[in-house]
Amino acid sequence: MDAVLTAFGEVLQPQVFFIIVAASAYGLMIGSIPGLTATMGTALLVPITFFLDPIPAIGAIVAATTMAIFAGDIPGALLRIPGTPASAAYTDESYRMREKGQVELALGVNMLCSTIGGLVGVAVLILAAPQIAAVSLGFSSYEYFWLALLGLSCAIFVSSSSPVKGVLSLCIGLMLSTIGIDVVMGVKRFTFGDTELIGGVSIIPVLIGMFAITEILRKVARPSRLPAPPPVRLGAMVSGVGSTIWRFKGGVVRSSLLGSVIGALPGAGADIAAWIAYALSKKFSRSPEKFGTGYPEGIVSASSANNAALSGAYVPSLVFGIPGDTITAILIGVLLMKGITPGPMVFVMDTGLVNAIFAVFIIANLLMLPLGLAAVYGSRRLLSIPQDVLFPIILLFCVIGAFAANNTLFDVWVMLVVGLIAFVLEENDFPLAPMILALILGQLVEENFMKSIIKADGQLTEFFARPIGGTLGVLTLAIWALLIGMSLYRATRARRAETTGE
Amino acid sequence: MRMNDAVTGGVFVLLSALILFAARGFPTLPDQPYGPGTFPTIIAAVMMVCGLALIWSGVRSHAPLLVVADWMRGSATFHRMAWVPGFVIAYTYLSKPIGFPLLVPVLLGAFLTVTTGRPLRAAIIALLGTAALWLLFAYLLRVPLPLGLLTEVIY
Repeated sequence: MDAVLTAFGEVLQPQVFFIIVAASAYGLMIGSIPGLTATMGTALLVPITFFLDPIPAIGAIVAATTMAIFAGDIPGALLRIPGTPASAAYTDESYRMREKGQVELALGVNMLCSTIGGLVGVAVLILAAPQIAAVSLGFSSYEYFWLALLGLSCAIFVSSSSPVKGVLSLCIGLMLSTIGIDVVMGVKRFTFGDTELIGGVSIIPVLIGMFAITEILRKVARPSRLPAPPPVRLGAMVSGVGSTIWRFKGGVVRSSLLGSVIGALPGAGADIAAWIAYALSKKFSRSPEKFGTGYPEGIVSASSANNAALSGAYVPSLVFGIPGDTITAILIGVLLMKGITPGPMVFVMDTGLVNAIFAVFIIANLLMLPLGLAAVYGSRRLLSIPQDVLFPIILLFCVIGAFAANNTLFDVWVMLVVGLIAFVLEENDFPLAPMILALILGQLVEENFMKSIIKADGQLTEFFARPIGGTLGVLTLAIWALLIGMSLYRATRARRAETTGE
Repeated sequence: MRMNDAVTGGVFVLLSALILFAARGFPTLPDQPYGPGTFPTIIAAVMMVCGLALIWSGVRSHAPLLVVADWMRGSATFHRMAWVPGFVIAYTYLSKPIGFPLLVPVLLGAFLTVTTGRPLRAAIIALLGTAALWLLFAYLLRVPLPLGLLTEVIY
């Protein structure tokens, strides 16, 4: 109990709390402006967290992303444009509610369900993470190697594009992580004689390039004017919300738990959780025929799930250092910059930090209620900011942000080059999530692989000799077999379609 | 900018060949065949196999080599998009000699004029935006943003 109080005391210090509130406001802004995703918002936040202590830095990221995932629902209900991809699953449904004159109810349900989902996710995190950490204290390099590989394979498995492109994206990330001094012998690799690259590719410019520059390029090419949002009566956002959610309480619980689990899977984040929760609630619903006509049941489920997924993603990130989604991949990057290596040892050595993260999550989810109301109130102004003004300023922010971490213009070049390459890759259906996961995990994979293979003296059977390591290994190989099988199946089906079509 | 899979696949095969070549030059641990080159070699091998698979599917698909998406067509669109790398490159070359407070309002104002088409409003927003970001990064976070020409004026 003392530890809990200390954690809350630490987070509620005026300075830290101010940063959390400021980050929340920022997150609400990012989330409610269409085109600015939670991941992009986090990437832009990183240069600033660089100057903060670990707890406020993590607090800022947690608060900003929690708010952003909820705020993505606001333009969804008002304009039928999801603010972040995580709201896309039920944008149509909440817009139908607006057409029925229930826009306030839709937003109120979004807000309260986001809070409930978020809190359930935190509860799962608080209960599960230390238990898993305790088990994983006995892990050796074999287990870590397989676990990291399993995480990366999972990221490819859940991405919607072709597995071949996912693997290639993964390879780029792994190769980027090998640049610099190698972990085994301290040899310089792929530095092209450049002193700036000896320390490796810095993570901040890569993140900004991948998630912000790509989006700026798309938005600048295709400027869009948002339609005017309708007026919202705040009073109506509160009344009737409780009874609606109570009616679908089963869905809230199911979707929150489901969301936490999906969030914990590496590579699958809030957006996938929302789609699956929406589909499942339709399947289990007593009146599935009402879905798509402005019926709140799907919204209740999906908006609980996406916020739960956000917290769920922290389970593997904190326990193993294996990110559950792109946002936690960035968070791990930030922790590493602060000299904290996430892993089971953090739960033993740095319980203060772990408890503070839990506290931040709880506070951020509770803050969502008052700040969310304010955001809905202010959304008319926010949504009237013209996009063609916004993106040049964000570009300037990116340039300074990339420069600020190491005060070198070299990082600005890294940002630009990575951004342009990522843009071309995304245009060609290469998923970016495996790349960022691989870049963060690359060193962990290589280090544990080299340790293992040197220990095993090249005997690959040693990789399967320990019970947990072996199980993880078999699981990884099974996913690979599935991936290869799926690719071959797709290829033969395409060929068959071709021959019958001709 | 949709390329035929064979083109992207070809780039990956080429890249993996270069990595394989470079990795051969790394030393190995004494009495062990492994070393700094082991991991890159494995990745490059995977990359090559997947690259070949892409080439195979690209050739079979008979898709055109390069399709520019509808929304990217038109010289005005291309012009606006070219401003993004242009802005960054101009900043990297000019920020040191000219300085952030003088260069950025001009650069940002020009970019905003291109996107909004309203020069006066663009100039005002550029000035305000520059001031806000200067305040945040140079003043609050103490990032040494270059002063350039102003260095002598101030000191």
